[in-house]
Amino acid sequence: MGFSTVLTLARYLFYLILLVPIAVGVIGVILPAAGYFPALGQHGWSSEPFARLLAHPDISKMAGLSLFTSLLATLIAFIGTVAVLAQFYQCKALARIQHGLSPVLAIPHAAAAIAVAFLLAPSGWAARFTATFTHTVLPDAHSLMYDDYGLAIVLALAIKELPFMLLMALGVLSQPNVKQRLEGQMRVAQTLGYCHQTSFLKIVFAQLYPQVRLPVLAVLAYASASVEIPLILGPQNPPTLAVAIVQWFNHTDLSMRFQASAAAIVQMLVTLAAVVVWLLGEKIWQQGFRWQLVSGNRMWGKAGSTWLARLLLGCLVTATLLIMLSMISYSFAGFWPYPNLVPTQLTLLHWQDALQALGKPIGNTLMLGFVSTCIAVLLVLLFLESEQQSNRTGPSATLADKLLFIPLMVPGVAFLYGLVWVGQWLFAEAIWLPVILSHLVYVIPYVFLSLAVAYRQLDIRYVHVATSLGKSPRQVFFRLKLPMLFAPVMVALALGAAISFGQYLPTLLVSGGRLATVTTEAVAIASGASRRLTAVYALMQMLLPLLGFLLAWWLPTMLFNPAKQAKPSGSRNRTC
Amino acid sequence: MPLSKACVIAMFIGAGWAGKAAATTVQFFGWGGSPQVNQYLQWVSEQTQARYDIKVNHVKLADTSDAVTRVLGEKAAGNSSRGSIDLLWINGENFAAMKQHNLLLSDWAEQLPNFALTRPDENPSMRMDFGIATDGQEAPWGKAALVFYFNQRLVSEPPASLAELLEFARQNPGRFTYPLPDDFLGISFLKYAALSLNAANRQLLYAPVTDPALATITGPLFTYLDKLHPLLWQQGEFFVRQASMLQQLFSDNEILLAFSFTAAEIPAAVSRFDLPQATRTYAMHDGSLSNVHFVAIPFNSARTDAAKTVANFLLSPEAQAYKQRVSVWGDETVLSMEALSKEQQQQFQTQSHPAALAPGAYQQLLAEPHASWAPALRDAWYARYGARL
Repeated sequence: MGFSTVLTLARYLFYLILLVPIAVGVIGVILPAAGYFPALGQHGWSSEPFARLLAHPDISKMAGLSLFTSLLATLIAFIGTVAVLAQFYQCKALARIQHGLSPVLAIPHAAAAIAVAFLLAPSGWAARFTATFTHTVLPDAHSLMYDDYGLAIVLALAIKELPFMLLMALGVLSQPNVKQRLEGQMRVAQTLGYCHQTSFLKIVFAQLYPQVRLPVLAVLAYASASVEIPLILGPQNPPTLAVAIVQWFNHTDLSMRFQASAAAIVQMLVTLAAVVVWLLGEKIWQQGFRWQLVSGNRMWGKAGSTWLARLLLGCLVTATLLIMLSMISYSFAGFWPYPNLVPTQLTLLHWQDALQALGKPIGNTLMLGFVSTCIAVLLVLLFLESEQQSNRTGPSATLADKLLFIPLMVPGVAFLYGLVWVGQWLFAEAIWLPVILSHLVYVIPYVFLSLAVAYRQLDIRYVHVATSLGKSPRQVFFRLKLPMLFAPVMVALALGAAISFGQYLPTLLVSGGRLATVTTEAVAIASGASRRLTAVYALMQMLLPLLGFLLAWWLPTMLFNPAKQAKPSGSRNRTC
Repeated sequence: MPLSKACVIAMFIGAGWAGKAAATTVQFFGWGGSPQVNQYLQWVSEQTQARYDIKVNHVKLADTSDAVTRVLGEKAAGNSSRGSIDLLWINGENFAAMKQHNLLLSDWAEQLPNFALTRPDENPSMRMDFGIATDGQEAPWGKAALVFYFNQRLVSEPPASLAELLEFARQNPGRFTYPLPDDFLGISFLKYAALSLNAANRQLLYAPVTDPALATITGPLFTYLDKLHPLLWQQGEFFVRQASMLQQLFSDNEILLAFSFTAAEIPAAVSRFDLPQATRTYAMHDGSLSNVHFVAIPFNSARTDAAKTVANFLLSPEAQAYKQRVSVWGDETVLSMEALSKEQQQQFQTQSHPAALAPGAYQQLLAEPHASWAPALRDAWYARYGARL
């Protein structure tokens, strides 16, 4: 089999894995929603599932809560991203922020939710801290979690989303051709007296936004259907629609599955609605912004972005530090009565207990992460190579870039249950294969996003030189490109593993609970009796991906000489 | 001493002698998922071997219903005297199924000499398993009962009845809650409240549920809960999904009163630092919902006499006291303290943990209502207070 055949096969396989599970899963949900489910004795078609769902008294509240929390969280994260970029673009601080935020990106959603619960709990560290001044004996009876408007959900989602958006934006801004052009334009604007932040908003942002729109919409879509965070932090009467769907699917009364399937379809509409609202907001903003572009106001947005960037970054850093401190403290705590800031005694008991119980889940987690990430990285590399060889930098490349977002846009709760149904019918006894497939659906897009930039930036002249020296495309790929791309490949591996580690719903549903991973165990234990054990589990959840990233940064410096350090270029308009 | 009792004792002695001739092994089938229980049964085997020359072989089951299926299969195959199971640890559901299919030996449990120590006339739960009369087909072994716990440093006088609980909630708003009725502990709280608030109509709860009976019972129950809910943690807007969350909230002092169905887990949690040192456990004065777990003998056991000897030993003050030790199993005794001598009572007091329930703390045990009430109460609760998801 020639190298070009492999490449062609890889391209088909890439699209297959990306799209088929979702298509199959959505069909597997549409059928029961339309009243067809032979296992429960329903062979006909009926509109009853939808009728029952729409008759539910809280359905509009649930959908509204999903819309509200996702839109608000995405807006906060987006504004934060823009403000931070406007404030720190072309500054050394930006690299530090980028490095500081990367680990937050690796934290699974479930761990983030547990962590925020530690912070917000009436007996959490923040409350203990204030109690040392107010001298209260008992924690506040009113919790900041579980509020009817889902503000705790918004906080957790925003904490998770901001680093993702920022890193996506930085990825775009660091592309050499883009970077060079934008730096020139920034210089011109600053020469004309525009202050730094204003130049960024009027020039860079306007060109950046179309490129990050898809990632932003993916974040929004994910937030509108996220399960772990609202399950741990959200209200329950009613909860968000996604949480209700999961509860209905898991209901002991099997006939609830019809209603759940119908709700999964409604969830897709809710996600769509969130996207439409965002795009409408975009249009409205464009009107105002277009006028501002030519207003000649040299200080526009300066105060706002400075203030917002400091506030949001300050909050994020404080929250992250407090969360980490309180989780580490709890994981070693013996007795620790409420107003005390530190435990009265320390113990290794919880770590010992957890590590004993976690042996198998850690093994499963590593196995799943390793297999799915290796497959994903291999497929993506071959796909990118085939793209480069067929010289497709035009419409096909952008098509691939857009298709990638389908798994990120279609809510997991909307297709995973259908996938499980079809999966049980296809391979009844298999556990690993379906779970790895379901992980791949999520791992491939992130690996692609992380690798594509580096791969497409690789200087094509190296390839020309190698080819002219008589090397075949296969030799060029293995002996030239892969070694040169060693660092980005390692980062992609670490990111893919982190994404796989964090998968809660796919692992739980597709394995039918038979494959315990650190994440599924952590979510289960978070509702258990021991806050101390929960802290250990959540820390383990963060440690695993972090180790992966450390390895990814360290290995290239060991095996190859580090690439030249990027230096911040350009200078600020000092007069602002 | 009545003649029948003397005969039974003579029979046991005889069984003991017979056993000496050829050491008997009693096949004890029971759930094997708990190391504490398994170790306790190991101890039981050593004791019965020394005393009666009977070995107890614990066949560890993952699910007790497997044993039910096995006996059913043996009956279907015509095996009515050489069954593989001699003694079986069951409760509730499985008992109902086995009784229905006549798979159990009848009229033996009440003839065990130690059965009288349970004072069955004062404790009707010794003869009822989830609302179904045991008819002497099961011997009680241990029991679990609803116990409440509080932090001694923060609460000086915990509520001793359901009425006082409402008063406690008024004085400490937001400091008590119970899990959703989907949870075992949540529905248990509702059962306790239903029993306590319907003292005059209590018999209704021990018969299969009917619509008028449900209306009668839920009347006072919902009146009470309507008053209680706004005073609960999160104003009754948010209920914890799992019983274990109660412990966590209590540990953080977010709630000042919590409850559990396993009294032994409270001192254990204190040792693990998951509950404060000042935690104290007690039982309500207006009754503690309790369910008893039993041992039964299948109809076709080949060694019924040895099985009865073991069941009687399991009911002895010594075996019950050892089982109740927190360090061994912590399972509550089914014996009535008043039926025991002073020395025997003292056996139950060894190795007490400050957070553990004091021996003899139960004022009155409330047997589980008929099995049909749990789903009925649950649905009525959701219909009234909204579907929590």
